Amino acid sequence: MSQTPFMRRTGRRETHSPRSALSIVTAVVLLAAVLWLALELVLSATGNAALLIAPAELMQRTASLGTATVPAALTAAGIVIAVAGVAYVLTAILPGTKPRHVIENPRSAVVVEREVLASALARTARTMARLAPEQVTASVGHRDVQVRVHPTSGKPVDQQAIQEAVDREVSGYSLARALKVTVVVAPQGAVGV
Amino acid sequence: MNGTRRGLNRVLLGAFGLVLIALGALAVLAGTGPDFAKAWTRTGTGWWARIQDLLASAKIPGQDISWWTLAVMGLLLVAGVLLVCWIASQGGGRTKQLCTSDDDAGTTTVETAVAGQAIKAALADNKQVLSTAVQAWELKGGSGLRISLQARKGASPRELMAVLDELVGGLDVLLGEEIPVLIRIKAGTRSRFARTERVT
Repeated sequence: MSQTPFMRRTGRRETHSPRSALSIVTAVVLLAAVLWLALELVLSATGNAALLIAPAELMQRTASLGTATVPAALTAAGIVIAVAGVAYVLTAILPGTKPRHVIENPRSAVVVEREVLASALARTARTMARLAPEQVTASVGHRDVQVRVHPTSGKPVDQQAIQEAVDREVSGYSLARALKVTVVVAPQGAVGV
Repeated sequence: MNGTRRGLNRVLLGAFGLVLIALGALAVLAGTGPDFAKAWTRTGTGWWARIQDLLASAKIPGQDISWWTLAVMGLLLVAGVLLVCWIASQGGGRTKQLCTSDDDAGTTTVETAVAGQAIKAALADNKQVLSTAVQAWELKGGSGLRISLQARKGASPRELMAVLDELVGGLDVLLGEEIPVLIRIKAGTRSRFARTERVT
């Protein structure tokens, strides 16, 4: 398949989180802190009363924070801050995969949400097994599909045929990452559907 | 799809995380080890005394403030501007112009709305498509077109793609050039609540 650099890049961007929300929140919080510090500096330089704490006092307190605080509180605060730091580093490193799959197409970059794939495959299985919509559910993961069939009581379903039908449907999508299909037939039949 | 600088986001978030980890580790060390806490206060107070000497040595003539204070204010302002730039770099890159071409007669600009209306009109009768949104964003040397469509529950992506391929082909003929296209097939609240199309 001739995938242009644009399509490869777009497909990658569409399936991974840009981390925008956390970036914006972080930047806004830091911005507030920076503006507050600048304001305090201006206030103290012009001889006005401090808003919350004067810069000189802030430095003084920070310098002696180690002994001026209850050790347990210091430890607890330290743990909270470190855990937040680990969460940030993980956010930066982890891929942040979005629930989408890339469809290979000669002309366009195409992404499809897992939910769309799942409902299409559930419909395929349902049509093959001649069941009601509620009797078939499908879930699509990163590289696998699970189709759960709940047959009508007394009417066994052909698992092999469903498997083949779903396999055929999946291979018709030309997904960039192949999906392994598993069909699970519930041992107990449903009554009254 | 937009112009967000994702690498920058990740680098800055990671750096911020490392700073937080370092601060947290310092606080835990000071909380658990009295010796470390004492060392912290000793070093901190020493530094603060030196900073105060420094501030006193560079007084602005006739004023009570130091050049250093002014420099710190400047740095804070620069940091603030950089943070605003970081916020502004999220998203963005949308454009109303789909493509432009220059020739002897002048410049021709095709707006995104042209493609948007054509695509929406073409998909309006399609039972498998619940809604369509078309948007263009800036790319190096032109614009890209994003077609987002909400598929009906159970709609086959293969059939949708067959329709869309034809549509994009028609657009190429209409515009006279092949612009980069992104197609996004989504599910959503409307897909969840709309009933399945039984006859296809």
